[in-house]
Amino acid sequence: MNTMSVLLPDRGVLPQIVARSFRAEPRFAGAALLLVVAMVPTLFAMMVDPRQFNGINVWDKPLKFEVALAVYLATLAWFAVHLPKSVTSARWYGVFSWVVVSAVALEMIWIGGAAANGVGSHFNLDGVMGAIYGLMGVLAVTLTSASLLHGIAFWRDSKSALNPQVRMALASGLVLTFVLTVIVAGYMSSNMGHWVGGNASDAESIAVMGWARDGGDLRVAHFLATHAMHFIPLAGYVAARSLRPAAAGMAVWGSSLGYCALVAFTFMQALAGQPFLGFL
Amino acid sequence: MSPDEMFQLANGMAFAGWVALLASPFAGGWSDRIAALVIPLLLSIAYCGLVLAFWSGAQGGFDSLANVELLFKTREVVLAGWLHYLAFDLFVGAWEVRTARREGIPFLLVVPCLLLTFLFGPIGFLLFCALRLAKSFMAPTAMA
Repeated sequence: MNTMSVLLPDRGVLPQIVARSFRAEPRFAGAALLLVVAMVPTLFAMMVDPRQFNGINVWDKPLKFEVALAVYLATLAWFAVHLPKSVTSARWYGVFSWVVVSAVALEMIWIGGAAANGVGSHFNLDGVMGAIYGLMGVLAVTLTSASLLHGIAFWRDSKSALNPQVRMALASGLVLTFVLTVIVAGYMSSNMGHWVGGNASDAESIAVMGWARDGGDLRVAHFLATHAMHFIPLAGYVAARSLRPAAAGMAVWGSSLGYCALVAFTFMQALAGQPFLGFL
Repeated sequence: MSPDEMFQLANGMAFAGWVALLASPFAGGWSDRIAALVIPLLLSIAYCGLVLAFWSGAQGGFDSLANVELLFKTREVVLAGWLHYLAFDLFVGAWEVRTARREGIPFLLVVPCLLLTFLFGPIGFLLFCALRLAKSFMAPTAMA
């Protein structure tokens, strides 16, 4: 019985993207798939577990991280299709890639283990959890550095077959994901929390995303910062298809600057104790 | 869903798997997929979820019989243990059917092994292994 052949028929655009991603970055693509699979028992645990943390089910957070890290790794694997072989086939890159996947695995074990024990993961300085919190920060920066490295690799790849504006947008989005995320998440960590004013609870938060309605929430800026790698390449792609090269190039830089401004705005808004889209 | 409802549902699913194995002479491929993959996977997902949710709150452990007994004081952990039986017994049953088919052991002889594996897992496994041993004396070339 070959179950994978059932899951991945060789027709259609999406299965082709999946197959090419697995060839270009088998570790990131494989880890993303494992995270998707892990959502199934996590959902089951959520269904049967009555325990709550900060007013919501203890498994809400592991599920969010499984989704977020799967999207992150799957995107990097997909983008890696367009990276030069001289990078992705290099021995140092293979080692780096394994280190990143290991960091993701350890973060998930940390967050899932905390949920299983009904305790906090981030901002928890009690006992063993406190002893490893610093290490978890190092791992988080390590796993985010994959976007920086991919961004620099796109930047330097002047012989790329990609449209130049799309390549610049990929480089800019990926580098900004790293820079903005490290700034915002680093502040959150040193601030020992993401709520500013309002109740320290997720019970009354906005749907799906879970951001506070009654005060500032630094997770908004973290979310937007981390998705620079999606938004800016998308803007670059649209610009490259609809504008002349010079204008598309301007659009890439304009959207990068605008996106930084958006992240800065939501960051300041949260620091001022104001909710983002609090009416949702 | 309460543990009791989950128990009933899991029993029904496992039973469907055993029925699929009994129908294997007529639909071998499907019976393999259902009994060796789909149903054990579903039971394993539920087991995993229960362990994630209730293990940390349970007393006891694997290191002594008294501790194992303590584990079974938590209803959800008992349920997880029962799902473990259901999933792995069915998996072994499916293996017996596949092995018998490959080695030319008549299905009618496998049926008592399946019944015993269903009710008393290891006894059915013993009987099936004894059957293979006997078969190997009758036609040594048939054994892989």
